[in-house]
Amino acid sequence: MNAPTARFETASPSGRRTAGSLIDPQTLMSIKNLELRARVVVEGFWHGMHRSPYHGFSVEFTEYRQYSPGDDPRYLDWRLYARTDRYFIKKFEDETNLRCCLLVDNSRSMTYGSLGWTKAQYANTLAATLAYFLYLQGDAVGLLTFDERIREYLPARHRTGHLRHLMLRLEQPAGGKATDLAAPLKRIIETVKKRALMVLISDLLAPIETLEKNLTALTASGHDVLLFHILDPAELGFHFEKAVMFHDVESERLLFIDPATARKEYLKKLNVHNAAIQTACQKLGIGYRRFATDRPLELALFDFLRERMQRGKRTVKVRPYA
Amino acid sequence: MSFLAPLFLFGALAVALPIVVHLIRRTSKEKMTFSSLMFLQPAPPRVTRRNRLENIFLLFLRCLVLGLLSLGFARPFFQKPMVPDPQSGAGKKIVLLVDTSASMRRQNLWSLALAKAEEVLGKTSPADQAAVFTFDRQTRSLVSFEQWSSGNAGERAALAAKHLAELKPGWAATHLGSALITAAETFADADKQGQNIGARRIVLITDLQEGARLDGLQGYDWPRGIEVDVEPVKAARPTNAGLQWVVDADDSAQAGAESGPRVRVVNASNSRREQFRINLDGVAGVTPLDVYVPPGQSRIIQAPGLGTNAQGERLTLTGDDDEFDNTIYLVLPKPEQINVLFLGDDSEQDPTRLLYYLKRAFQQTRRQIVRMNARPADAPLAPAELAGARLLIAADVLSDSQLQAAQKFVAEGGAVLFVLKNVGVAQSIGRLVGADNLTATEAPASGYAMFGQIDFEHPLFAPFADPRFSDFTKIHFWKHRQLQTDRLSGARILARFDNADAALLEIPKDKGRVFVLTSGWQPADSQLALSSKFVPLLYSMLELSGDLKAQLAQYHVGDEVNLGSLRPAGPLMVRKPDGSEVNLPAGETRFSQTDLPGIYAITSLQPAGRFAVNLDAAESRTAPLPVEELMRIGVPLKAPEVELRKQADQKRRLHNAELENQQKLWRWLIVVALVVLLMETCLAGWLTRRTTLARG
Repeated sequence: MNAPTARFETASPSGRRTAGSLIDPQTLMSIKNLELRARVVVEGFWHGMHRSPYHGFSVEFTEYRQYSPGDDPRYLDWRLYARTDRYFIKKFEDETNLRCCLLVDNSRSMTYGSLGWTKAQYANTLAATLAYFLYLQGDAVGLLTFDERIREYLPARHRTGHLRHLMLRLEQPAGGKATDLAAPLKRIIETVKKRALMVLISDLLAPIETLEKNLTALTASGHDVLLFHILDPAELGFHFEKAVMFHDVESERLLFIDPATARKEYLKKLNVHNAAIQTACQKLGIGYRRFATDRPLELALFDFLRERMQRGKRTVKVRPYA
Repeated sequence: MSFLAPLFLFGALAVALPIVVHLIRRTSKEKMTFSSLMFLQPAPPRVTRRNRLENIFLLFLRCLVLGLLSLGFARPFFQKPMVPDPQSGAGKKIVLLVDTSASMRRQNLWSLALAKAEEVLGKTSPADQAAVFTFDRQTRSLVSFEQWSSGNAGERAALAAKHLAELKPGWAATHLGSALITAAETFADADKQGQNIGARRIVLITDLQEGARLDGLQGYDWPRGIEVDVEPVKAARPTNAGLQWVVDADDSAQAGAESGPRVRVVNASNSRREQFRINLDGVAGVTPLDVYVPPGQSRIIQAPGLGTNAQGERLTLTGDDDEFDNTIYLVLPKPEQINVLFLGDDSEQDPTRLLYYLKRAFQQTRRQIVRMNARPADAPLAPAELAGARLLIAADVLSDSQLQAAQKFVAEGGAVLFVLKNVGVAQSIGRLVGADNLTATEAPASGYAMFGQIDFEHPLFAPFADPRFSDFTKIHFWKHRQLQTDRLSGARILARFDNADAALLEIPKDKGRVFVLTSGWQPADSQLALSSKFVPLLYSMLELSGDLKAQLAQYHVGDEVNLGSLRPAGPLMVRKPDGSEVNLPAGETRFSQTDLPGIYAITSLQPAGRFAVNLDAAESRTAPLPVEELMRIGVPLKAPEVELRKQADQKRRLHNAELENQQKLWRWLIVVALVVLLMETCLAGWLTRRTTLARG
């Protein structure tokens, strides 16, 4: 309906943007209003376009298929029948609006941040940016925030005021405890029957076994999944110096840690964890992007679009009817 | 080194405090919030060697301060031996008081008492001095301090125990109070003789029964420094009931011999039985009497009659554990006949005459039968009649023969009462007492007269001396006669009327006495016969005439019996219940060897007089007396062993406190602690400054 009028392969005519032209995350995060932050990111960006993965009977022809009993006779190509004396169904590429659902982790571990903003703020800004961008394209955007259970859910819509609602929900402070993907994903699978793009934004600080199981369930339901793995630079580098009591925000556990001795082991385990996630994503066909919270958000948008375009090219799934 | 308050040494444990603080400071208190510790392992903190060395000196100083403070608070002192008690080295003086009263005859009390006595004597040291006394109603010295000291040191105790073992408990009552006083005074006597050498203690071995008399102790100022150690012996079976004869004071003739004596059954307060039986020994056909007496109570019951011929009987009680007080001996008094001779023309049936009232004044009682013999005023008197009479009452003018007989009667010690019912009688009085031509005049009739002045000191009126009985104003005398009392030499006016006329006077004559009442008691003369004073006055007169003999009835073991009232002609001989005979010296009428219960016979009299000696009633009260009772009346008891240990501890503590107070070591410790504290402060300050400078 509101199909994009222009399509771009890249965000810039050259296809790449320099780091200097990107908005510094610190500057961006100093903006209090989440919607404004999203607008700042998106407006510095061109309207992106993407190929609809859905096939329909609208404009662009894709292929013929031999008629089999039960097919709608309205779509028979009579001309071809006249030529070949065989029944063929004429198929077209369906240009539909994207249905995108943003799954944002609001667990307590997301409240950690060493740069002046938390992972949750960064994730919310990213979600808001994607939502705003998609909204401008006329796509339907939904939101599901979760921790160990579902906190907020907005079905994917495109209507006036929906974006505003979405922003308000995103601005709710994170209050949960642990990260548990099982319940939210189960709910989303049950709720969203139509194939959609699932954008999961989380720090994925949970045992790899459960993560893999949950992601498998999500992809098995036919959704496209894009995973933004958000981590704080301190988590990635563990550049602490003083031996202090470390306080786990999720479990409230206290541990005396001497970083000098613990760093090596920590990084090793973290890398193993991340690698396991990445492997799982590749295996499941999930687009995976790891983000440190000091990374400019436009890059996330680029990654998103790039992922979408690659996925559009890869899409071979055809549904006869919309 | 010793400590006055050693518990404060636990304060030294506070040195752990700086050590703990030191250890705590090694662990960082900083907290770092992190998203997840799932990739982290706890790492033990690293402690540098240099840190520990730096802090240890400070730590040592701080620990030293705490240690010195706790040491100071513990009040240390250097122990010195206690100065020994000057008395403790010397020997003790012990008086061993052993109860030999009747209640000690119970069960095995005597053997227990002997064993305890032997134990006490055995514990004496050669430096100790001991005396052994036994007591019941009297306190007797068995071994004196002198005898003890004179004996061989090794054999004293055995000798005293041997003396004691030869004794047996008697039958007398327990006079514990007087025994304790005697023992205490033995110490006082020894003190006077300069033998006070150490602690003084009375060891009392007794069954400490409720019936023990403590009367003497009530007002006794117990000498200081003498303590009493009570070693009670207890009977295994506590039930004891006693039998006592309740001697009647009543004179009613109805309570005759047939109704039997009244006995009191007393049950000790700690008895366990309540049902007893009374048997009358020696009288056939009398059924035993069951009696129910709850513990601690008594019952008075009428025993079966003894019969008129019984000379002396005994009652026994059965049903309790102890026999010693279960028998009482009874000698019922026989009524005595007293003759009173009345000379006068009165009719005993005429209520207007004297004899009518006189006859009715003397009623027959259990003790005595007063027989009134009335003779006309002019009738001759037989000598036998006079000999049998002790009081002669004359109410009319006597004939010459009568007068002579009366003079002889008075001369032999008889008493004559003249009732001046008319003025003519005065002549007979005059002739009797030797005042010839004694006259009397009728007092002028002006209303009535009363007794105005009475000599209550005279034996005749002595029973009325009590203010409750001394009111004679209700007796109105309508008529009386005025006698020439000034002519009667030696006359003593016992009562005067309110107009100062003599009302009753006594004229001694030879061995006897003559009483004169200047009015009559018949209604025409006065209200005397109708008043309550009349009968007692007549009995008082009878007593003065010597006709009422003291009754020999019941005595307790140890009582002294006065046999004087029997008017023995020669030396008295008394046979005791055990058959032994005691001859009293001539003129001696007091018999004091009543050491056995039973019936004593005075065999030298005809017929033989008898009297019963029974156990003291208090001996039956065998329930134990609380030892505190002795304390209550001021006898200082020896403290129990625990108390003694406490006293010794107290003494040691006082000695230690005194030593500590003299030495005052704590002051020096506090000073040293302050110095160390100062050093610690300086050192800590210097270290802090150095660290600050090093950090820039």
